[in-house]
Amino acid sequence: MAPDFAISLENVSKTYRLWGRGSQFATLKSALLKRDLKLTPEQSVPALKDVSFTIDRGEAFGVIGRNGSGKSTLLKLVSGILKPSSGRIAVNGRIAALIELGAGFHPEITGRENIYINGIMLGLTRRDIDERFDRIVEFAGIGEFLDQPVKTYSSGMYVRLGFAVAVHVDPDILLIDEVLAVGDEEFSARCIAKIQEMKFRGVTLMFVTHQLDQVRNLCDRAVWLDHGMLEAIGDPMRVVDSYLQEVSGTPASPPAEQAPSPAPESSTEEERWGSGEILLKHVALTDHQGRELVAIGAGTPVTIDIDVEVRAPQEDFVFGLGIYHADGSCVYGTNTDVEGYAPQLLDANARIRFVMPSLDLVAGTYRIDAAVHTRNGRAFDYRRGVLRVVVGSRVHDVGVYRPKHEWKFEGGVAFKSIDTLRQNVPSQIAEAMKEVEKPKRRK
Amino acid sequence: MTNSSNLLRHRQLISALTARDLKARYRGSILGYFWSLANPLLLLAVYTIVFTKFFPQQVVQPYPLFLFSGILPWTFFAAAVLESTSSISANAALIKKVMFPAEALPIVVVLSHLVHFALAVPILLAAVGAFAALGKFTPGMSILFAPVLMLLQTLFVAGVALTVSSASVLFRDLRDIIANLMQLGFFVTPIIYLIDNVQSRVLRAMLRVNPMTPFVVAYQDIFFFGRMPNTSDMVLIVAYAAGSLFVGFFVFDRLRDTLAEAI
Repeated sequence: MAPDFAISLENVSKTYRLWGRGSQFATLKSALLKRDLKLTPEQSVPALKDVSFTIDRGEAFGVIGRNGSGKSTLLKLVSGILKPSSGRIAVNGRIAALIELGAGFHPEITGRENIYINGIMLGLTRRDIDERFDRIVEFAGIGEFLDQPVKTYSSGMYVRLGFAVAVHVDPDILLIDEVLAVGDEEFSARCIAKIQEMKFRGVTLMFVTHQLDQVRNLCDRAVWLDHGMLEAIGDPMRVVDSYLQEVSGTPASPPAEQAPSPAPESSTEEERWGSGEILLKHVALTDHQGRELVAIGAGTPVTIDIDVEVRAPQEDFVFGLGIYHADGSCVYGTNTDVEGYAPQLLDANARIRFVMPSLDLVAGTYRIDAAVHTRNGRAFDYRRGVLRVVVGSRVHDVGVYRPKHEWKFEGGVAFKSIDTLRQNVPSQIAEAMKEVEKPKRRK
Repeated sequence: MTNSSNLLRHRQLISALTARDLKARYRGSILGYFWSLANPLLLLAVYTIVFTKFFPQQVVQPYPLFLFSGILPWTFFAAAVLESTSSISANAALIKKVMFPAEALPIVVVLSHLVHFALAVPILLAAVGAFAALGKFTPGMSILFAPVLMLLQTLFVAGVALTVSSASVLFRDLRDIIANLMQLGFFVTPIIYLIDNVQSRVLRAMLRVNPMTPFVVAYQDIFFFGRMPNTSDMVLIVAYAAGSLFVGFFVFDRLRDTLAEAI
């Protein structure tokens, strides 16, 4: 049985050496004569200091921090491009690194030939590339330029081709360094959709970015590096928030009334408060067969099950639920009171079920709050972020809410074909989700 | 050696990159690979004129054929080693941005120069045939030994290329030193003169320590004299090939981890 982590770092440090004038011959000699390259402090620049963490399989892991904080060094160490000065790095699975798109392209030869060379560089065989070739070309959208030398490409085409080859390597682990910032809007959207798709298939993602909303939207966890040291790790919302506070001196996205405590080390935990006469013992998202889910396909039926433990009978009680987007905005909120349920008596353990015949959300990560409180708002038990839900979709629509819809066409409009794969979204995704569920769950 | 198995594992990459190198080099040039012959042919013309018109007493006959059989292996060696000094720094993006086996780069340089060499061999054979038809010369079956010799020389060149490619990343002056050494090397290798005719004691000593000497002499033996190389030369050739590879892998292994930072 293979270990269940994808990437593990133990006390990893990296020190770059400065190349002083005239010291080169000495370093060459010492490199050849001695096995170790011991550095004296004044010659070296520490880039990472004693960093340890583990990334689970199937996890999407963001790395944020200021320029020069060691983010790219971290990625290069994980990919094996650089070797750590001390500490241990273990990687479990086939790894692909998007550090610079199209880094291996040769300008004088055609796109077609470059696809093969680049693919081989990334560890594919010729046969692998033959199989993937059409998909790569389609994703890159370079059309008739396929057989032109790459030097004639626009920079957008260049980057698209680089991304297309890299993501079709089918890695177990994908490392991404800031590459999503390049390209136009449409391309970035497609990249993100592709990355989401890989995430749903169980690919472990580790990415460095300055686009904090990507971290909030895509990541299960994040780490904040500062001057080569691990400043915070855990829930992406929390990590991003504390990073923004540090950078700007003010909270960038003011949270709701209950401000999160600034302690970042507890950030994977939900927040919970209340007087405790009534407890929400267990909150779960289940499918129609009662199985618990952490990831679901858009448009599938789901139920939120709440097991309620009563410690002291109450006559004034309201059950509430809130669904939040990963960026913190509220998608939907309701409670029994606003929907007209007048409380009578709660005097024994109970189960509350919130049944949704179809969850009409677009792909993304959502947070669910569950609460029980009095009608004037005093909480018995408020569980903020009790559930985190990944909604997956093959259709790359945007926004938050996906109304039930269909397209109707009349008159002189014709389409070549209908992608049946995309038509079958819910069941397919639901299947895929089941496979990634287990490794995704922590605690 | 883990290193050589590494190269074997990346053989698809190496062959693809070699093909890319050759394609990229000749795309858009009308004469294509003949440019790779231009330099040896020019040398051939110049030295043929110099030695047949100005110093005819030095000359073995037919001189152009003698010269050609020595110039080709020398050009292979000199061009591959010189180009490999910049093979890694010229591909800095690969080393720094992609998980890439750095040892493939000098090997690709060596292989693409080997291809140039191999493409020139038919011309050498045509020259052999022409002189034989004119009755000036009798070729021998020893020509069939050429592939073995070329393989051994390729191993030797690969070892040198591995050494200088990695070392020159840390020590940039190496490229200039090697460029000058190659100019000198051309004259202390018995290419334009016959080794048996050398009188100078100093030159003889230099020829003895020059590892390219037995290679060039062996090529002259099989192409020009129509005889098998003598045993002591062959022992030296095998020893140089093995020793060079060993040193090349050793040096490259030591420096590999620092390459991505030092570029």
